[in-house]
Amino acid sequence: MIKLENLHKNFGKLEVLKGISTNIQDGEVVAIIGPSGSGKSTLLRCINLLEVPTDGRIMINGQDITDKGTNIMKVRQDVGMVFQHFHLFPHKTVLQNLTYAPMKVKGVSKSEAEKTGLELLEKVGLSAKAYEYPNRLSGGQKQRVAIARALAMNPDVMLFDEPTSALDPEMVKEVLDVMKNLAHTGMTMAIVTHEMGFAREVADRVLFLDGGVLVEDSSPKEFFSKPKSERARDFLQKML
Amino acid sequence: MNLDFQQFIPSLPYILKGIGVTLQIVFMAGILGFVLGIILSFFKISRFKLLGWIADAYTSVFRGTPLVLQLMLIYYGSPQLIGYKIDPSTAAVLSFGLNSAAYISEIIRAGILAVDKGQSEAAMALGVPYRPAMMDIILPQAMKNILPALMNEFITLTKESAIVTVIGVTDVMRRAYIVGGEKFSYFEPILIAGLIYYIMVMILTVLGKGIERRMRRSD
Ligand SMILES: Nc1ncnc2c1ncn2[C@@H]1O[C@H](COP(=O)(O)OP(=O)(O)O)[C@@H](O)[C@H]1O
Ligand SMILES: [Mg+2]
Repeated sequence: MIKLENLHKNFGKLEVLKGISTNIQDGEVVAIIGPSGSGKSTLLRCINLLEVPTDGRIMINGQDITDKGTNIMKVRQDVGMVFQHFHLFPHKTVLQNLTYAPMKVKGVSKSEAEKTGLELLEKVGLSAKAYEYPNRLSGGQKQRVAIARALAMNPDVMLFDEPTSALDPEMVKEVLDVMKNLAHTGMTMAIVTHEMGFAREVADRVLFLDGGVLVEDSSPKEFFSKPKSERARDFLQKML
Repeated sequence: MNLDFQQFIPSLPYILKGIGVTLQIVFMAGILGFVLGIILSFFKISRFKLLGWIADAYTSVFRGTPLVLQLMLIYYGSPQLIGYKIDPSTAAVLSFGLNSAAYISEIIRAGILAVDKGQSEAAMALGVPYRPAMMDIILPQAMKNILPALMNEFITLTKESAIVTVIGVTDVMRRAYIVGGEKFSYFEPILIAGLIYYIMVMILTVLGKGIERRMRRSD
């Protein structure tokens, strides 16, 4: 379980997160929605310490990861992240992309890492691409590999930062389908997305962020049918 | 213009033997320059300002003074610096290596900074610590970008190595000069030396292009 307590993040004078508090339960799928620049990415990046919070606490499974003594690398091993622009390693094959981190940081043997890697590739429908380089893949395929790469570390939580925003429209579905399947396996997921249909269908909860403030924290049904705030109503009107 | 290459044919093997001397200096200096260049480039991108400052000062000095001066400083200065005279080819390797480290560190620094920031973030997000991320993810990609510049530096080194002749290393240049002295005609042997350098540079160029093409295959 992830627990955010009064989370603040400043970049110099710029206050990007202004005290976010919420919980994410095990197995819960949370959609994070909000206008551009509202702090969605920053929020996500705080959870795996790619950004160091200025103030407040983040608890993951009872451990305060903002504590000074925290092993940041260990936290990141247990928190998978998928980026908008994939960031696959271009000089490694698809399978090597999946096996690199488990072998390097977890000391998994090559044969075991490859076995797991191939299983994951099968799950995302890309077994045939195991020995290709990423440049030979389409955007949708790259993102599915990126998801498999994060899963190869066997994380407790998966963070997605606009995973379909850089994709051609016809490739969005294949990625969302993989994420949907993952949600059904009980993975805890936090997803920054502009795919309202997906959020509505798959998310257990919606967080609506605006100007670094958590404006709404509600069920998708509630959020999409009768948003409480003016700002959420405006936002939804523009999106739909 | 009357050229007489005939009389130099017996001396040809002697001059050609200098290729080995030249290549050996260039190769060893290249390795020294590369290793030291990588270390300096790490200093330059380090969070520790002092390291960056040291590396910048180093680069500034070695780029701001003539190579031939550095060569002579190391060769003639060695008795006062370390207590005994080092042999000319060691001085050559040292000075060329130290000098090209300055240039190579700049090339590598730029290459590392040119790698997409998302790459190190992806590695970090997987829990990969800084050092392996650098070695396995960032540097290999940086290398691909900097290979042409690195090859250039190597070629420059090959040509510039001719100045070791001033401290008496019997490289191609020196041998051509010696042969010229024996026959009282410098023009032809120096032309021959020029041709040898040119061919070496061409071979290096073709080699570099080949490596580049191979590395580009994963793009
Ligand atoms: N590393 C950074 N340095 C300075 N400002 C940043 C940095 N990252 C994000 N910001 C700023 O923080 C604000 C929120 O950014 P972000 O979290 O990316 O928003 P979102 O993902 O909702 O679009 C923006 O104004 C952005 O310019
Ligand atoms: Mg964002």
